Amino acid sequence: MSFQLEQDRAAGKGKPLSAARSSLEASSRLTRKRSWALAIGVIGVGTIFAVRALSPTSLGGLLPAVAQDLLTLAYSVIIESLPFVVLGIALSILVQVWIPDRFIARALPKNLILRRIAISLLGVLLPVCECGNLPLTRGLIAKGLTVSESMTFLLAAPIVNPITILTTYQAFGFSNGILVARIAGGFFVANLVGWLFSRHPQQENLLTSDFAASCRIPDAHHTSTARLRQSTRLFAREASVIMPVLFVGALVAALVQVAVPRSVLVSLGSNPLYGILAMMILAFVISVCSNVDAFFILPFASTFLPGSIVAFLIFGPIVDIKMLTMMRTTFRGSTIVQLSVVVALVSAIIGLLVNYVA
Amino acid sequence: MWRSYRGWQGLGLIAVSLVATLWFAATGRLTLFIHPRYVVFTVVMASVGLLLVIAAIADRVRHPGSDEHEHEHEHEHEHDRHGDQRSVTPRLLSALVSAVAVTAGLALLLLPATTLSAATAQQRAVNVAPVGAGAFLPISGSAAAKAATASTASFARFTVQDWSSLLRESTDPSFYSGKPVDVTGFISANPNDPANSFYLSRFVITCCAVDAQPLGVPVSLDNWKSRFVIGQWLRVTGGFGSNPSQKSSESIVLLPAAIIKVVEPNEPYLY
Repeated sequence: MSFQLEQDRAAGKGKPLSAARSSLEASSRLTRKRSWALAIGVIGVGTIFAVRALSPTSLGGLLPAVAQDLLTLAYSVIIESLPFVVLGIALSILVQVWIPDRFIARALPKNLILRRIAISLLGVLLPVCECGNLPLTRGLIAKGLTVSESMTFLLAAPIVNPITILTTYQAFGFSNGILVARIAGGFFVANLVGWLFSRHPQQENLLTSDFAASCRIPDAHHTSTARLRQSTRLFAREASVIMPVLFVGALVAALVQVAVPRSVLVSLGSNPLYGILAMMILAFVISVCSNVDAFFILPFASTFLPGSIVAFLIFGPIVDIKMLTMMRTTFRGSTIVQLSVVVALVSAIIGLLVNYVA
Repeated sequence: MWRSYRGWQGLGLIAVSLVATLWFAATGRLTLFIHPRYVVFTVVMASVGLLLVIAAIADRVRHPGSDEHEHEHEHEHEHDRHGDQRSVTPRLLSALVSAVAVTAGLALLLLPATTLSAATAQQRAVNVAPVGAGAFLPISGSAAAKAATASTASFARFTVQDWSSLLRESTDPSFYSGKPVDVTGFISANPNDPANSFYLSRFVITCCAVDAQPLGVPVSLDNWKSRFVIGQWLRVTGGFGSNPSQKSSESIVLLPAAIIKVVEPNEPYLY
């Protein structure tokens, strides 16, 4: 609508009547073209609804039970993450298109350590869990945060975030220091990784070349229509990057769930070291969202030592099958390996500390 | 070409996922995948997402070439840095990812939503994660606390989940005597005494189907396999009592007074 207003205003300004009329016609042609395009969008989505509605409601045992369960598990990961993916992309669009250039980068403290600390607390303001977090991190890099700073955000936000803190509190209260160890541990590991990677001389080399290139495209437009268009385009681009890997990550996670008996992990039980490793493997495999992983791990709390639970709660939100595939869209393979090793070591050490202290 | 296809593929995948989500919500099947407390949030975000999808499709219809421009940009930069040394492997890999994702997307569009089966209950081992007092409880309230205040008749409303928690807390037969049991669940195998006992089980969900934990109560029924198959949904009434089986390690089992076959309930999971 504002687009049309601008057009009209531009058209009417000190021009002969006929020229104004013809540009009015042009703008109504544009409106018509736009309604057509929107109609095609609505028809497209409507067609998908129709196909979904007309699909069979039962296969009558065509697929074996294991295959059915595999799909059910994969879809539950996708459906559970989807609202957070949409929220994450929406916040990423907000950061990239609607918040003034470099506003965030400038608003942060100049001292590098304080700056990273501030960034690791940003998750309190932008509460997305890990799945929505990646698009937002991509947005922050595009908006001028250095790669290592954005990693601090990527790692801290899923843990130092009001929803995660609330659910962890609901699940464990203050018992055994699990809640405190999780928040402090997540905060610490995010700052540590940020500091380590800030020593890398060539920040851009940490990124995949595709993503690094897309960050360098300057945003030329500043009118609100141009911004709207840029927003829908960003939505399409983020969807095209994230959706395929979300599907594949969810399928792989489901496959491992169907293939590895849960009793294998649980039988590793209460050994202070093996328990921690088992919990980290479990976290890696199941890829549950950080907002709710506390509820997931609660039933295991009586077989495993508190430190093992803490290792699960710190490691899981940062490194798991789904997150690795998603991170691969943005960071180079070698960067991800280094990051995973550091996070795994630190989570295990924090877990051991809790096991021996608590 | 490839870039333009990828753009449409991403929009298609997210559109299919959002539509399937809303469709399952409209037909009451969404809780087969996620816990009911996320349904409202999921539906709201899915609707927002679909509006964005429609806007994005409209934009691509009006400006079909926009991807190609970006592509040129990226290509220049590739030249800048690597002299276009892009190897074949990443391309193959991304083609593979794309093929798998599209297949899974089609399945999400075309296949019915199903409940997790007894095969998964078997794989996850019924009652293995010790769900004792306090576990799962921020949401549902302890079975023991419920039991302490319950009148005799209200025990008939206890679920498989409630009883299975109670069985963990108490194996005293006098606690169970005279308490009516009326539970619904599906059959899964009981490794303690496979021939003469099965678990009447339900999946308990804390966040989504991925964390579904099978819980069950042992039901004593000699040679049950001649009447039922694994996975069959049953409503069993009766009472708990000492286990007649010598082989089993479970001292208390459900002694059925009546067993009827039922269809799977609309809400197959417990929370």
